[in-house]
Amino acid sequence: MATGEDSGEFYLRYYVGHKGKFGHEFLEFEFRPDGKLRYANNSNYKNDTMIRKEVFLNPAVLRECRRIIADSEIMKEDDNNWPEPDNVGRQELEIVMGNEHISFTTSKIGSLIDVQSSKDPEGLRIFYYLVQVSHRLQPVPPHHTCQQIDEKLFYF
Amino acid sequence: MASADVEAVDFEPEDDDLMDEDGAVDVDNSSPRAPLPKLKSAITGGAPSSLAAAPKKTKGRGFRDDTDADRNSRFAARDFDSLDSDGGPGPQRSIEGWIILVTGVHEEAQEDDLQNAFGEFGEVKNLHLNLDRRTGFVKGYALIEYENLEEAQAAISAMNGTELLTQTISVDWAFSNGPFKRRNMRRRSPRGHRSRSPRRRY
Repeated sequence: MATGEDSGEFYLRYYVGHKGKFGHEFLEFEFRPDGKLRYANNSNYKNDTMIRKEVFLNPAVLRECRRIIADSEIMKEDDNNWPEPDNVGRQELEIVMGNEHISFTTSKIGSLIDVQSSKDPEGLRIFYYLVQVSHRLQPVPPHHTCQQIDEKLFYF
Repeated sequence: MASADVEAVDFEPEDDDLMDEDGAVDVDNSSPRAPLPKLKSAITGGAPSSLAAAPKKTKGRGFRDDTDADRNSRFAARDFDSLDSDGGPGPQRSIEGWIILVTGVHEEAQEDDLQNAFGEFGEVKNLHLNLDRRTGFVKGYALIEYENLEEAQAAISAMNGTELLTQTISVDWAFSNGPFKRRNMRRRSPRGHRSRSPRRRY
């Protein structure tokens, strides 16, 4: 059963990025307890500039997000045996829910093959699927069409 | 970095108070050694004070490696684009239209099911029915976009709490004009009243 699913205390942050020839390229978003969603995406590719968006979400969105987190059971996992962040990239997932607070880090995960060959395939698989879902649960920020945002989010 | 610190303070003090109370109620003292969690968001440039206040069970390497010094410069909180809004209650318009969230969607629902049900209230400009990539089933929610406020409002009024494919669905706005109040999130206290807090000022 999901602890904290309904308690209201909830924070989520996800970061994925790396440093390379186009500078520090990353995407990060966070759901804050008051409903504010912040989103940033940076790349210097073709002189792109940083995209920063923020919008307030209706409580219903955060409730659904809590439900998905709880169902995933990510809070029971541990990143001890996950691949360490490396030169290829870094992912971070931080969640506060109920009285638990996780802050997991790992490398970029290219595909399920990476998951399977890791030391903790079961835990890492939960992470792998969850961060895809977290991307998708963001409703379209006001400045984007669904299409645009999906392309940005699924690029990673 | 300094500016990030300043900008991070956008929680209402009242909210902090409520959070502190929650912490006191919720804390499970099974891990007395647990340090105060430190949220490391580069977006906020530091911990939201309301969250940092309550001790929590912490887990993960993110609490250990503090080496990423450029975190706070990743983005200072200042330059986030947001739509003009009066900050009051009510829905927020997206750039193209008005977006509603449907939850409780049956795992075998098809886009057509939602299109048929929600097309009644106006043209559905966009419909996202996302799948759980592990199971291949519908994750449980859909995002639907209408061009007009009236269409979206009509869909919410008519469809919220109704049955779709044997499941009761909830329908509400996806966006809001401003931060929501704690009471909107608080659903676990059956008594409803909290005597210790002074009445909220708006």
